[in-house]
Amino acid sequence: MYSILKPCNTSAAFEAIPRDRFSLDLDLCEEILGNDCTIVTNAGILLIVNDRCEVSIHKDGRLILKTDSKDLAAEQAARIAGWLEGSPAIRKHRNRGNAGRTDPAAGK
Amino acid sequence: MLRRGVELVAVHMDNRPFTDEKNLNKTLSLVRHLQNLTQSPIRTYVVPHGPNHIAFARNCQRHLHCLFCRRMMYRIAERIAQKEEAAGILTGESLGQVASQTLQNLMVENQVVSVPVIRPLIGLDKVEIIDIARKIGTYEISTLPGLCCTIVPKKPSTAARAKDLHDEEQKIDLGALIKKSLEGMYVLDPEAL
Repeated sequence: MYSILKPCNTSAAFEAIPRDRFSLDLDLCEEILGNDCTIVTNAGILLIVNDRCEVSIHKDGRLILKTDSKDLAAEQAARIAGWLEGSPAIRKHRNRGNAGRTDPAAGK
Repeated sequence: MLRRGVELVAVHMDNRPFTDEKNLNKTLSLVRHLQNLTQSPIRTYVVPHGPNHIAFARNCQRHLHCLFCRRMMYRIAERIAQKEEAAGILTGESLGQVASQTLQNLMVENQVVSVPVIRPLIGLDKVEIIDIARKIGTYEISTLPGLCCTIVPKKPSTAARAKDLHDEEQKIDLGALIKKSLEGMYVLDPEAL
């Protein structure tokens, strides 16, 4: 579901970019993720949760994973994706001709 | 400014949870370095700024977020300047280095304070600033790993209008936010750094 990358050389975090176009209802995400994670804050446009590391969740699905470990970042992104996949918190966007993009429900 | 004999008081606006603790640690390392370099004690204020971000994000126009953030920082810095009987606010802004640092934006940011805002780097470009940082030994500290602010809008306004900012700021209780920020603020003694 996500590609993991480092925003810049001096960043102390990793960014997870969704492979598919979708948007998130952050209030619903808060409800769903609240079962497994600690909710740090919901700023309306950004939800911050704490699980194995702290994660900032943007409405467009992007994740900022506050860890120095790429493996942990990938694992955390997969956990978030697992909790949200198939839930009403994910709103799929219509395919607008973006070749190579796949169905968000198709797996990680 | 330290070389010119100016006594400095440092203010760190703590953006957590929209950044991490590494930025605070970097600030403290920079203050410690400058203290050692100049043998001048620098008292350091740390102000919680995260709750202000939440209020702006929840209530105000998204593309103006950096302007609200900066105007708030100036307002709080002015209160600290009054408390410290300081003659101005000193910042490291440089024209055009980031989207929010345009002349138009700097003008509307200045409007919320009455003390002078001094910007010694305003006309320098990135390379010139890096050269100075290397010369005074702050470059290595400044480039340590850190997390950029995660609540920055994708397209921040580059030419904000004072009226728009003022109208948006009416949606929140600025006085209460400033009060809460000042109540949550703490001071680090120079010797403690």
